[in-house]
Amino acid sequence: MKHHILKAITILSLGVGLTCAATAEPVIGKQAPVFEGMTSSGKTLALQSLKGKPVMLEWTNHECPYVQKHYESGNMQRTQRALTEDGVIWVSVISSAPGEQGYVDAEEANRLSESRGVYADHVVLDPEGTIGRLYNAKTTPHMFLIDELGVLQYMGAIDDKPSARPSSLEGAKNYALAAWDALQSGEKIKETSTKPYGCSVKYK
Amino acid sequence: MPKYLFRLIAGVFSFAAFTCAALAAEPVATAQASHSSLHVYSERGSPKPDAVQWLAVQIVPREGWHSYWQNPGDSGASPILDWQLPDGIAVSPPLYPTPELIPVGPLANYGYHGSSVLLVRLETSEGFSAKPLVLEAEWLTCEVECVPQFATLTVDMEEGRGEKIPGNSGLFSAARAKLPEPSYWSARLEIAGNASKLTVFMTPSDVEGFENALFFAGADGLLSYAAPQEWRWSDEGLVISMVREAGAPAPERADGLLVLEDANAGRTGYHLTPTLSVASPQAGESDAISYTVPSMPLWQAGLFALFGGLILNLMPCVFPILSLKAFAFLSANYKTEANRRHEGLAYTFGIWLSFMAIVGVLVALRAGGAAVGWGFQLQEPLFVALMMTLMTFVALSLAGFFELRLGVEGAGQNLAAREGIQGAFFKGILAALVATPCTAPLMAPAIGFALTQPLFTVFIVFSLLAIGLALPFLALSFIPAFAKLMPRPGPWMEKMKEALAFPMFLTAAWLLYIFDRQLGAVATLLLLTGLIASIFGVWLFKQGQGRWLRGFAMLFLVGGLVFVASKPWSGLTGEVGNVSPQEEAYSDARVAELRAAGKPVFAYFTADWCITCKVNERMVLVTDDIDGLFNDAGVHVLKGDWTNRNADIAEVLARYGRVGVPLYLYFAPGEPQAIVLPEILTKGAVQTAINGSE
Repeated sequence: MKHHILKAITILSLGVGLTCAATAEPVIGKQAPVFEGMTSSGKTLALQSLKGKPVMLEWTNHECPYVQKHYESGNMQRTQRALTEDGVIWVSVISSAPGEQGYVDAEEANRLSESRGVYADHVVLDPEGTIGRLYNAKTTPHMFLIDELGVLQYMGAIDDKPSARPSSLEGAKNYALAAWDALQSGEKIKETSTKPYGCSVKYK
Repeated sequence: MPKYLFRLIAGVFSFAAFTCAALAAEPVATAQASHSSLHVYSERGSPKPDAVQWLAVQIVPREGWHSYWQNPGDSGASPILDWQLPDGIAVSPPLYPTPELIPVGPLANYGYHGSSVLLVRLETSEGFSAKPLVLEAEWLTCEVECVPQFATLTVDMEEGRGEKIPGNSGLFSAARAKLPEPSYWSARLEIAGNASKLTVFMTPSDVEGFENALFFAGADGLLSYAAPQEWRWSDEGLVISMVREAGAPAPERADGLLVLEDANAGRTGYHLTPTLSVASPQAGESDAISYTVPSMPLWQAGLFALFGGLILNLMPCVFPILSLKAFAFLSANYKTEANRRHEGLAYTFGIWLSFMAIVGVLVALRAGGAAVGWGFQLQEPLFVALMMTLMTFVALSLAGFFELRLGVEGAGQNLAAREGIQGAFFKGILAALVATPCTAPLMAPAIGFALTQPLFTVFIVFSLLAIGLALPFLALSFIPAFAKLMPRPGPWMEKMKEALAFPMFLTAAWLLYIFDRQLGAVATLLLLTGLIASIFGVWLFKQGQGRWLRGFAMLFLVGGLVFVASKPWSGLTGEVGNVSPQEEAYSDARVAELRAAGKPVFAYFTADWCITCKVNERMVLVTDDIDGLFNDAGVHVLKGDWTNRNADIAEVLARYGRVGVPLYLYFAPGEPQAIVLPEILTKGAVQTAINGSE
């Protein structure tokens, strides 16, 4: 019975913890909502543990044609490489629910990272959609740039061409890259918030 | 002869083709993609120079799939029509039919189920070159998953007389009928924080009876696509209150469509170009109202916490457990002093650990961005149900119905029962656990304050609260002089124990009340059924030693508890949140609206499990004096009910530096800031707030 009480406390705490919905909103120029998530390498990643480094969040779904445009053309990998070489921590987030398009387990996520040659530092698995809802992530891709102080600097589309055609990449303005370049050189980011485009995030 | 036959066949075919064209519109170009088809129709034959004619681009997705409006909403993509035009020909951006709202999980899109026709205006100039037009089209079709569609179509162009093609007129007139109509109403869209309000300056006689009015935004940042909209008539016209994401940057224009739906699913769209007014962050809802989080020195907060913990010992739900602990202690006076000290420390540690666990969960949730406050445990009906079950069992055990083997049974005939350090530790956990329902309502404001403080302060305050709760027993263990003051053990302790069952039953009754308010009578019956089944199991257990009997007993005991834990009441809701007709529910949108109209607003935030709130309401708010005062001053009263978890209300509380109820706000007309009234409300405070600011 003693153990039962301890168990009951644990179960209650967990139950309360899981049923609480997150509600903080992402606002440009304010602290980005903090989260903790399980990465594909089985570790827990807390946004707060990345303080001191800029972070780019990328919502992704490998089966979404818009995501495929950016990965199959190598555009996303190039963007990832450019930012990570500058010291940005790149976090890809998968908020597809089990059974929905783009849902992957850790093993498959790692296999995808390898086969596509990504430069992301972490792939966070968010099958419950908790982090996605916390950020109001709507589409894949949907990008969020957080500076080293944890302040949200950019949110929105990766570029200005809401198309699934690979040819649309030509001459497209990469907002994510532009935001980082401006942030890095201490300039004002021109577009801090753009309309994201792509497939809807496949929430539960 | 064969030639003649050939002509005849050709003639029949062309006649067939002609009649077909008369019945169905004939496209000038068509493309079949994987999940849809796209057709281009021309309203007129080959165009004249210096003339205008129309093309129709029809998208026909698969059954159940949809395509998108010019603003696709949260996700998706609007069709891209990329024309490569010969010299002297120009085309306009397409005109879209009135879209539907298509919900996708927590998001929503603007688009079309089934076929949709976009109209494109084509203009020829003098001496245009009659070369083919090439259309590179990309359009997205989605069911749940999305498949982009691509096609390249060629539309032949020759110079002609531009005569209407009779077979196509039906398609074009149908397409025009679906276009939104121009409107001559001026409109205003106001954005403040997370509220958005559209006023269309029109009268009910301007539009024939409609059932529902919706605003379709032309750009992001005007509204949350998936959030419900509320419409009503005001003195100025039609008002639609909407919710928007507070963090979203405001767009430059507020263009969109007003869509009126009638009872027969008929829909009419009207173009609106409202003037946009964005409340600047200084004057906006969320940042305007400055508040000061009450601050006190750490030593003072700590002292309060210690004292609060001490008072907790007298709570009806904690006192019985504590007394039992004291009884066990009395009867254990043969134990060595060292033993007693160890037990005292173990007990304190048990309490402290439980407090830290609860606070840890709370802090972690808040760090994760969850809008929870103290008392959040009681917003989860399952927690209330399990606490109610626990209270009932503890009470039954105290009353002597059965022996709960928790080490709590130290009194009475088990006077000599040895209670180990472990037992003391778990008794500490039990004390902390049974204390939670009592701490929540009575200490919510104080604990709420602590939670807004830095982590170190939270740690200190809660540690001192735990020590305060453990203090009486700690004193007994460490100071022999105290122990000597205690009465002699005796049979009176057994009677006392039984008597103490009643406060516990009362606590259970109170929890049942909360549960009933949350989920209603049916859920209460289910809970009680589970509880009684498990009590029956306990009774059965006491009836003998037989294997079958015991098996059955366990079946009932465990089955009843599992039944409760399985939440059989899912889907049921109680009265909570159903604001009674005289009351108006709080929403940021409503406050913004009333304030914009220059009306004074009094908002109060309450919960059924918040005793302070209920006392304030009974003694102050729901009295004739205050009612009269509100009426005289024309104050609109809004109520925010936090009995169940509600993120919107938690957000409002957070805005004023609170993590719990009660909260009382008065928005005087024209004042940018709300007056925050004290938590212990007095009629005087309400009167001063309202009269003082007039």
